[in-house]
Amino acid sequence: MKVLFEFLKNPFYRVAGYTSLVWGVVGMVVATAIAFCGGVHYHGLLHFGGAPNGAWWCFVVEHLVVWLVPAVLIYVSALFCSRSHVRPVDVLGTVAFAQLPFVLLSLLMAIPPIREITSVQTVEEVELLLSDMGRLLLVVWIGLLSLLLTIWVLYWMFRAISVACNLKGRNLWLVFIIGAFGGDVLCRYLIGFCY
Amino acid sequence: MTNRESKKRLPLRCPACDAQLKVSKMVCVQCGTEVSGEFDLPVLTRLNEEEQHFMLEFVKASGSLKDMAKKMGVSYPTVRNYLDDLIEKLNNMAEE
Repeated sequence: MKVLFEFLKNPFYRVAGYTSLVWGVVGMVVATAIAFCGGVHYHGLLHFGGAPNGAWWCFVVEHLVVWLVPAVLIYVSALFCSRSHVRPVDVLGTVAFAQLPFVLLSLLMAIPPIREITSVQTVEEVELLLSDMGRLLLVVWIGLLSLLLTIWVLYWMFRAISVACNLKGRNLWLVFIIGAFGGDVLCRYLIGFCY
Repeated sequence: MTNRESKKRLPLRCPACDAQLKVSKMVCVQCGTEVSGEFDLPVLTRLNEEEQHFMLEFVKASGSLKDMAKKMGVSYPTVRNYLDDLIEKLNNMAEE
Protein backbone atom coordinates (compact mmCIF):
# COMPACT_ATOMS: atom_id res chain seq x y z
CA MET A 1 0.00 0.00 0.00
CA LYS A 2 2.83 2.35 0.97
CA VAL A 3 4.69 1.47 -2.22
CA LEU A 4 1.58 2.25 -4.30
CA PHE A 5 1.10 5.57 -2.52
CA GLU A 6 4.76 6.45 -3.10
CA PHE A 7 4.38 5.51 -6.77
CA LEU A 8 1.25 7.66 -7.17
CA LYS A 9 3.02 10.54 -5.43
CA ASN A 10 5.91 10.50 -7.88
CA PRO A 11 5.82 7.74 -10.52
CA PHE A 12 8.83 9.26 -12.31
CA TYR A 13 11.14 8.27 -9.48
CA ARG A 14 10.86 4.76 -10.93
CA VAL A 15 9.42 5.25 -14.45
CA ALA A 16 10.88 7.50 -17.15
CA GLY A 17 12.40 7.33 -20.63
CA TYR A 18 11.05 4.77 -23.10
CA THR A 19 8.99 2.90 -20.47
CA SER A 20 7.00 6.01 -19.62
CA LEU A 21 6.74 6.85 -23.33
CA VAL A 22 5.19 3.46 -24.15
CA TRP A 23 2.73 3.69 -21.23
CA GLY A 24 1.89 7.28 -22.12
CA VAL A 25 1.28 6.53 -25.81
CA VAL A 26 -0.91 3.51 -24.94
CA GLY A 27 -2.89 5.74 -22.57
CA MET A 28 -3.18 8.38 -25.26
CA VAL A 29 -4.53 5.86 -27.81
CA VAL A 30 -7.11 4.61 -25.28
CA ALA A 31 -8.09 8.17 -24.28
CA THR A 32 -8.43 9.16 -27.98
CA ALA A 33 -10.65 6.11 -28.70
CA ILE A 34 -12.89 6.86 -25.70
CA ALA A 35 -13.02 10.57 -26.61
CA PHE A 36 -14.00 9.69 -30.20
CA CYS A 37 -16.76 7.30 -29.07
CA GLY A 38 -18.03 9.75 -26.46
CA GLY A 39 -17.57 12.95 -28.50
CA VAL A 40 -15.25 14.45 -25.87
CA HIS A 41 -13.01 17.16 -27.34
CA TYR A 42 -9.86 18.59 -25.79
CA HIS A 43 -9.70 22.28 -26.73
CA GLY A 44 -6.49 22.72 -24.80
CA LEU A 45 -4.47 21.09 -22.04
CA LEU A 46 -6.95 22.27 -19.41
CA HIS A 47 -10.13 22.66 -21.48
CA PHE A 48 -12.50 19.95 -22.68
CA GLY A 49 -16.12 19.50 -23.79
CA GLY A 50 -18.08 19.49 -27.03
CA ALA A 51 -16.90 20.82 -30.42
CA PRO A 52 -18.35 21.11 -33.95
CA ASN A 53 -15.86 18.78 -35.69
CA GLY A 54 -16.64 15.10 -35.10
CA ALA A 55 -14.08 13.69 -37.58
CA TRP A 56 -11.77 10.99 -36.15
CA TRP A 57 -8.63 12.87 -37.13
CA CYS A 58 -9.72 15.86 -35.07
CA PHE A 59 -9.58 13.76 -31.86
CA VAL A 60 -6.16 12.39 -32.85
CA VAL A 61 -4.81 15.90 -33.55
CA GLU A 62 -6.21 17.22 -30.25
CA HIS A 63 -4.47 14.52 -28.20
CA LEU A 64 -1.20 14.86 -30.09
CA VAL A 65 -1.19 18.65 -29.70
CA VAL A 66 -2.08 18.42 -25.98
CA TRP A 67 0.89 16.08 -25.49
CA LEU A 68 3.52 17.54 -27.84
CA VAL A 69 3.07 21.28 -27.31
CA PRO A 70 3.63 21.27 -23.51
CA ALA A 71 6.43 18.69 -23.90
CA VAL A 72 8.29 20.81 -26.47
CA LEU A 73 7.82 23.99 -24.40
CA ILE A 74 9.11 22.19 -21.28
CA TYR A 75 12.11 20.76 -23.15
CA VAL A 76 13.12 24.08 -24.71
CA SER A 77 12.75 26.04 -21.45
CA ALA A 78 14.60 23.31 -19.52
CA LEU A 79 17.56 23.71 -21.88
CA PHE A 80 17.93 27.24 -20.50
CA CYS A 81 16.97 26.57 -16.87
CA SER A 82 18.54 23.18 -16.07
CA ARG A 83 22.21 22.47 -15.42
CA SER A 84 21.71 18.78 -16.17
CA HIS A 85 21.67 17.11 -19.56
CA VAL A 86 17.96 16.79 -20.41
CA ARG A 87 17.01 13.88 -22.69
CA PRO A 88 14.06 14.56 -25.04
CA VAL A 89 12.77 11.00 -24.49
CA ASP A 90 12.46 11.66 -20.74
CA VAL A 91 10.45 14.83 -21.29
CA LEU A 92 8.22 13.29 -23.98
CA GLY A 93 7.77 10.09 -21.98
CA THR A 94 7.07 11.60 -18.58
CA VAL A 95 4.69 14.25 -19.99
CA ALA A 96 2.78 11.50 -21.86
CA PHE A 97 2.69 9.39 -18.67
CA ALA A 98 1.52 12.40 -16.64
CA GLN A 99 -1.50 12.65 -18.95
CA LEU A 100 -2.68 9.10 -18.16
CA PRO A 101 -5.53 10.44 -15.94
CA PHE A 102 -7.01 11.84 -19.18
CA VAL A 103 -8.19 8.25 -19.84
CA LEU A 104 -10.39 8.51 -16.72
CA LEU A 105 -11.44 12.04 -17.66
CA SER A 106 -12.49 10.95 -21.17
CA LEU A 107 -14.34 8.00 -19.66
CA LEU A 108 -16.16 10.28 -17.21
CA MET A 109 -17.13 12.80 -19.88
CA ALA A 110 -18.26 10.06 -22.27
CA ILE A 111 -20.93 8.67 -19.89
CA PRO A 112 -24.28 9.39 -21.71
CA PRO A 113 -26.05 11.50 -18.99
CA ILE A 114 -22.88 13.56 -18.55
CA ARG A 115 -22.50 13.96 -22.30
CA GLU A 116 -26.05 15.25 -22.42
CA ILE A 117 -25.29 17.86 -19.76
CA THR A 118 -21.97 18.99 -21.26
CA SER A 119 -23.62 19.47 -24.67
CA VAL A 120 -26.08 22.05 -23.26
CA GLN A 121 -25.74 25.26 -25.29
CA THR A 122 -28.95 27.32 -25.45
CA VAL A 123 -30.28 29.53 -22.63
CA GLU A 124 -33.53 27.50 -22.47
CA GLU A 125 -31.54 24.31 -21.96
CA VAL A 126 -29.49 25.94 -19.19
CA GLU A 127 -32.67 27.17 -17.43
CA LEU A 128 -34.16 23.68 -17.67
CA LEU A 129 -30.96 22.25 -16.20
CA LEU A 130 -30.96 24.74 -13.31
CA SER A 131 -34.56 23.91 -12.44
CA ASP A 132 -33.80 20.20 -12.06
CA MET A 133 -32.08 19.62 -8.69
CA GLY A 134 -30.89 16.11 -9.55
CA ARG A 135 -29.18 17.19 -12.77
CA LEU A 136 -27.75 20.25 -11.06
CA LEU A 137 -26.09 18.04 -8.42
CA LEU A 138 -24.74 15.86 -11.21
CA VAL A 139 -23.20 18.95 -12.81
CA VAL A 140 -21.50 19.83 -9.51
CA TRP A 141 -20.13 16.29 -9.20
CA ILE A 142 -18.87 16.25 -12.79
CA GLY A 143 -17.19 19.60 -12.18
CA LEU A 144 -15.50 18.38 -9.01
CA LEU A 145 -14.35 15.08 -10.51
CA SER A 146 -13.03 16.65 -13.70
CA LEU A 147 -11.27 19.32 -11.60
CA LEU A 148 -9.64 16.61 -9.47
CA LEU A 149 -8.48 14.70 -12.55
CA THR A 150 -7.08 17.89 -14.10
CA ILE A 151 -5.21 18.69 -10.86
CA TRP A 152 -3.85 15.13 -10.90
CA VAL A 153 -2.50 15.65 -14.45
CA LEU A 154 -0.95 18.99 -13.45
CA TYR A 155 0.62 17.49 -10.32
CA TRP A 156 2.18 14.65 -12.30
CA MET A 157 3.41 17.13 -14.92
CA PHE A 158 5.08 19.10 -12.14
CA ARG A 159 6.76 15.93 -10.89
CA ALA A 160 7.68 14.93 -14.46
CA ILE A 161 9.49 18.25 -14.99
CA SER A 162 11.26 17.97 -11.66
CA VAL A 163 12.67 14.50 -12.50
CA ALA A 164 13.15 14.68 -16.27
CA CYS A 165 14.82 18.12 -16.18
CA ASN A 166 16.39 17.98 -12.68
CA LEU A 167 14.81 21.25 -11.61
CA LYS A 168 13.99 22.60 -8.18
CA GLY A 169 12.58 25.77 -6.66
CA ARG A 170 12.03 28.83 -8.84
CA ASN A 171 13.27 27.28 -12.08
CA LEU A 172 10.93 24.31 -11.62
CA TRP A 173 7.92 26.60 -11.17
CA LEU A 174 8.97 28.73 -14.15
CA VAL A 175 9.24 25.73 -16.50
CA PHE A 176 5.99 24.30 -15.12
CA ILE A 177 4.08 27.54 -15.75
CA ILE A 178 5.51 27.78 -19.29
CA GLY A 179 4.69 24.12 -20.00
CA ALA A 180 1.25 23.87 -18.41
CA PHE A 181 -0.32 27.29 -18.77
CA GLY A 182 1.66 28.53 -21.79
CA GLY A 183 1.05 25.11 -23.31
CA ASP A 184 -2.69 25.41 -22.70
CA VAL A 185 -2.87 28.78 -24.46
CA LEU A 186 -0.84 27.53 -27.44
CA CYS A 187 -2.83 24.28 -27.60
CA ARG A 188 -6.12 26.19 -27.71
CA TYR A 189 -4.81 28.38 -30.51
CA LEU A 190 -3.56 25.42 -32.58
CA ILE A 191 -6.57 23.17 -31.93
CA GLY A 192 -8.82 26.09 -32.92
CA PHE A 193 -7.75 25.48 -36.55
CA CYS A 194 -9.52 22.08 -36.46
CA TYR A 195 -13.00 23.59 -36.01
CA MET B 1 29.37 -8.43 29.81
CA THR B 2 28.44 -8.76 26.15
CA ASN B 3 31.11 -8.87 23.50
CA ARG B 4 29.14 -6.96 20.91
CA GLU B 5 31.06 -5.17 18.13
CA SER B 6 29.71 -1.74 17.27
CA LYS B 7 30.39 -0.17 13.91
CA LYS B 8 32.02 3.22 14.39
CA ARG B 9 31.22 5.93 11.92
CA LEU B 10 33.79 8.52 10.97
CA PRO B 11 32.51 11.82 12.38
CA LEU B 12 32.62 14.54 9.72
CA ARG B 13 31.23 17.55 11.59
CA CYS B 14 31.93 18.99 15.00
CA PRO B 15 29.11 17.95 17.37
CA ALA B 16 29.39 21.30 19.18
CA CYS B 17 29.52 23.89 16.37
CA ASP B 18 28.90 21.76 13.22
CA ALA B 19 32.15 22.92 11.56
CA GLN B 20 34.12 20.62 9.26
CA LEU B 21 36.41 18.32 11.29
CA LYS B 22 40.10 17.85 10.40
CA VAL B 23 42.52 15.03 11.13
CA SER B 24 44.99 15.98 13.87
CA LYS B 25 46.56 12.63 14.76
CA MET B 26 47.32 9.37 12.97
CA VAL B 27 48.59 6.23 14.66
CA CYS B 28 50.37 3.14 13.33
CA VAL B 29 48.59 0.26 15.03
CA GLN B 30 51.63 -2.01 14.46
CA CYS B 31 54.42 -0.01 16.08
CA GLY B 32 52.53 2.74 17.86
CA THR B 33 54.16 5.62 15.93
CA GLU B 34 52.03 8.76 16.08
CA VAL B 35 51.92 11.58 13.55
CA SER B 36 50.42 14.87 14.63
CA GLY B 37 49.41 17.85 12.52
CA GLU B 38 46.36 19.30 10.81
CA PHE B 39 45.20 17.42 7.74
CA ASP B 40 42.09 17.86 5.60
CA LEU B 41 39.90 14.81 5.14
CA PRO B 42 39.93 13.56 1.53
CA VAL B 43 36.90 14.91 -0.39
CA LEU B 44 35.27 11.50 -0.87
CA THR B 45 35.38 10.71 2.84
CA ARG B 46 33.49 13.90 3.52
CA LEU B 47 30.44 12.49 1.71
CA ASN B 48 27.82 10.74 3.84
CA GLU B 49 27.54 6.95 3.95
CA GLU B 50 24.78 6.74 1.32
CA GLU B 51 26.70 8.98 -1.09
CA GLN B 52 29.92 7.01 -0.60
CA HIS B 53 28.01 3.77 -1.27
CA PHE B 54 26.58 5.31 -4.46
CA MET B 55 30.05 6.36 -5.62
CA LEU B 56 31.43 2.86 -5.04
CA GLU B 57 28.55 1.20 -6.88
CA PHE B 58 28.86 3.72 -9.70
CA VAL B 59 32.54 2.90 -10.18
CA LYS B 60 31.78 -0.83 -9.99
CA ALA B 61 29.13 -0.34 -12.71
CA SER B 62 31.85 1.23 -14.92
CA GLY B 63 30.06 4.56 -14.69
CA SER B 64 26.95 3.30 -16.42
CA LEU B 65 23.88 5.24 -15.27
CA LYS B 66 21.63 2.70 -16.98
CA ASP B 67 23.11 -0.16 -14.94
CA MET B 68 22.90 1.92 -11.78
CA ALA B 69 19.22 2.66 -12.46
CA LYS B 70 18.53 -1.07 -12.91
CA LYS B 71 20.46 -1.96 -9.76
CA MET B 72 18.73 0.70 -7.65
CA GLY B 73 15.28 0.05 -9.17
CA VAL B 74 14.77 3.71 -10.09
CA SER B 75 14.46 5.61 -13.37
CA TYR B 76 17.46 6.83 -15.40
CA PRO B 77 16.88 10.56 -14.73
CA THR B 78 16.54 9.86 -10.99
CA VAL B 79 20.07 8.40 -10.95
CA ARG B 80 21.41 11.15 -13.20
CA ASN B 81 19.89 13.83 -10.92
CA TYR B 82 21.46 12.16 -7.87
CA LEU B 83 24.83 12.11 -9.59
CA ASP B 84 24.49 15.75 -10.74
CA ASP B 85 23.63 16.84 -7.19
CA LEU B 86 26.63 14.87 -5.91
CA ILE B 87 28.94 16.53 -8.47
CA GLU B 88 27.65 19.93 -7.37
CA LYS B 89 28.29 19.00 -3.73
CA LEU B 90 31.85 17.88 -4.57
CA ASN B 91 32.48 21.10 -6.48
CA ASN B 92 31.27 23.14 -3.52
CA MET B 93 33.53 21.14 -1.21
CA ALA B 94 36.51 21.78 -3.46
CA GLU B 95 35.77 25.52 -3.36
CA GLU B 96 35.57 25.56 0.47
